[in-house]
Amino acid sequence: VSKMNKDAQMRAAINQKLIETGERERLKELLRAKLIECGWKDQLKAHCKEVIKEKGLEHVTVDDLVAEITPKGR
Amino acid sequence: AGGGYMDEGKDEERGGDDEGVKVPFGSSCHSHRAPSGRAGDTPGLRGPRAATPSGRLSPASRGRSRRHFKVGENWRQELRVIYQCFVWCGTPETRKSKAKSCICHVCGTHLNRLHSCLSCVFFGCFTEKHIHEHAETKQHNLAVDLYYGGIYCFMCKDYVYDKDIEQIAKEEQGEALKLQASTSTEVSHQQCSMPGLSEKYPTWETTKPELELLGHNPRRRRITSSFTIGLRGLINLGNTCFMNCIVQALTHTPILRDFFLSDRHRCEMPSPELCLVCEMSSLFRELYSGNPSPHVPYKLLHLVWIHARHLAGYRQQDAHEFLIAALDVLHRHCKGDDAGKAANNPNHCNCIIDQIFTGGLQSDVTCQACHGVSTTIDPCWDISLDLPGSCTSFWPMSPGRESSVNGESHIPGITTLTDCLRRFTRPEHLGSSAKIKCGSCQSYQESTKQLTMNKLPVVACFHFKRFEHSAKQRRKITTYISFPLELDMTPFMASSKESRMNGQLQLPTNSGNDENKYSLFAVVNHQGTLESGHYTSFIRHHKDQWFKCDDAVITKASIKDVLDSEGYLLFYHKQVLEHESEKVKEVNTQAY
Repeated sequence: VSKMNKDAQMRAAINQKLIETGERERLKELLRAKLIECGWKDQLKAHCKEVIKEKGLEHVTVDDLVAEITPKGR
Repeated sequence: AGGGYMDEGKDEERGGDDEGVKVPFGSSCHSHRAPSGRAGDTPGLRGPRAATPSGRLSPASRGRSRRHFKVGENWRQELRVIYQCFVWCGTPETRKSKAKSCICHVCGTHLNRLHSCLSCVFFGCFTEKHIHEHAETKQHNLAVDLYYGGIYCFMCKDYVYDKDIEQIAKEEQGEALKLQASTSTEVSHQQCSMPGLSEKYPTWETTKPELELLGHNPRRRRITSSFTIGLRGLINLGNTCFMNCIVQALTHTPILRDFFLSDRHRCEMPSPELCLVCEMSSLFRELYSGNPSPHVPYKLLHLVWIHARHLAGYRQQDAHEFLIAALDVLHRHCKGDDAGKAANNPNHCNCIIDQIFTGGLQSDVTCQACHGVSTTIDPCWDISLDLPGSCTSFWPMSPGRESSVNGESHIPGITTLTDCLRRFTRPEHLGSSAKIKCGSCQSYQESTKQLTMNKLPVVACFHFKRFEHSAKQRRKITTYISFPLELDMTPFMASSKESRMNGQLQLPTNSGNDENKYSLFAVVNHQGTLESGHYTSFIRHHKDQWFKCDDAVITKASIKDVLDSEGYLLFYHKQVLEHESEKVKEVNTQAY
């Protein structure tokens, strides 16, 4: 924990406040709703299905999917 | 068996799972990849099992999960506590403790897919493998993802699923969301004005009757580029083409279509059979039913006769008049007002018609003496544009002289829509015979007046004033006006007035600002003379296909056909929609 610099400390403090007030959850839900509305979730879901088809249902792991879709999602 | 896919009870080795242990989850993982065994077991992604929820990745893993844990009698409750304290915190206390304690014990981050060990108090991030190190060193093989609540097994190197655990997770998450919603402060509650924000969008969980229905109706409709749903002719009931062309334009207005096809209208009329909005809803259902034979809009005609008397009868009417009358009745009926008596204030109305069609037209009158400006903003549903050659118009600049804005076909001598809009928004000297009383000067002064757009509607309708009914003559102006496929309204906004004062037209060259950009989606044309004529419309289908609607006959058209047509009413749809409450821009992927 002592490896954090001032910047990271600030971020951590902000994050703490956001969690404490419950604001982080609200923002998360808002973001989630918007991402669904604009079709982002559906697009990524489709991409996931492609990856699963490629790798085979038996062999794919969550990590595989995370690695595949994180760049696309960003 | 129906639903057997999810049934954990089919495991062979169930004994020995009930040893009491101190920690909620024993750290030893008895797992191994359970062979899927039965042939044809693995469903393809398109099998009926794809309809079942829960997001399991691999059917083979269904045999694995329970064997991961040595469970105590209280494991359910202990799991709930973990979820409440670290994953989905509903109370201020749990939130506080989460904020304080949920950071990686190695690097201090709260990000990077933080996980909590299920055997001891340790938090480690996933991305940097800190939780992996802990699992390896301590042989604690289970961890829970603090963001999603999924349980990870380090021996199987993947997340594992259990029906009961998923149920508990769902419940705890729901509880936390409910608590969070009920303790919202006033301010943040306004921000959460989106429907259903306090409840998670629930996934569709098929019920038994639904599964049966799906089984009986295996045909799936796929949307390809050649689908014709939404294209349907309208029978002419006797000079009713003026109505048909507007119906085609309205039913192909993307945002309006989305409203009605998602069944969002709740009738407030005292007598619903007279509700024009209900009839509109019904029209959308008819046009998008997939039925190719032309529809007979007799009910619509009947309602129009009742609610807009001036349009009744079998004589040819003006399509623009019908559009305005229809919008007016729809707007009134949205509020349950069938008598038109209530003084509706369009500025505060939130009905779907106002949300979509109402723009704000700003009028600035500048006193030439004191240069004080008096501003009024009026709601408007359309913009009516004078054309060159009309007896009322004053067309000082030669059309086509300025450089081509909006990519209209720029041929000298051809007037463009932009020319008309420029003229519409130019500062106009009112002259000595039309002095206005100035508030600050307290006397009548000469002034200039300028119209600009203060608030842009989602759907902008432009009306070319082709029908002249002056004292001298009645005629139709058939001058061709060139109009673009894409239109940027920035130069015509109130905010662009400064640059207009200098007589220059602010050209929005690649400004990167898309919020004032529109796409053409419908054109209504009139052929013939003032006395006898015929209305047809072009509508945009799918992304770039156009169709001509001539009453009952729908034919494919090219973009050239559309842009070469004379143009009487032009319908443009905003490309980017602003979210009212947060003013965050989002792209409407269903428009163009």
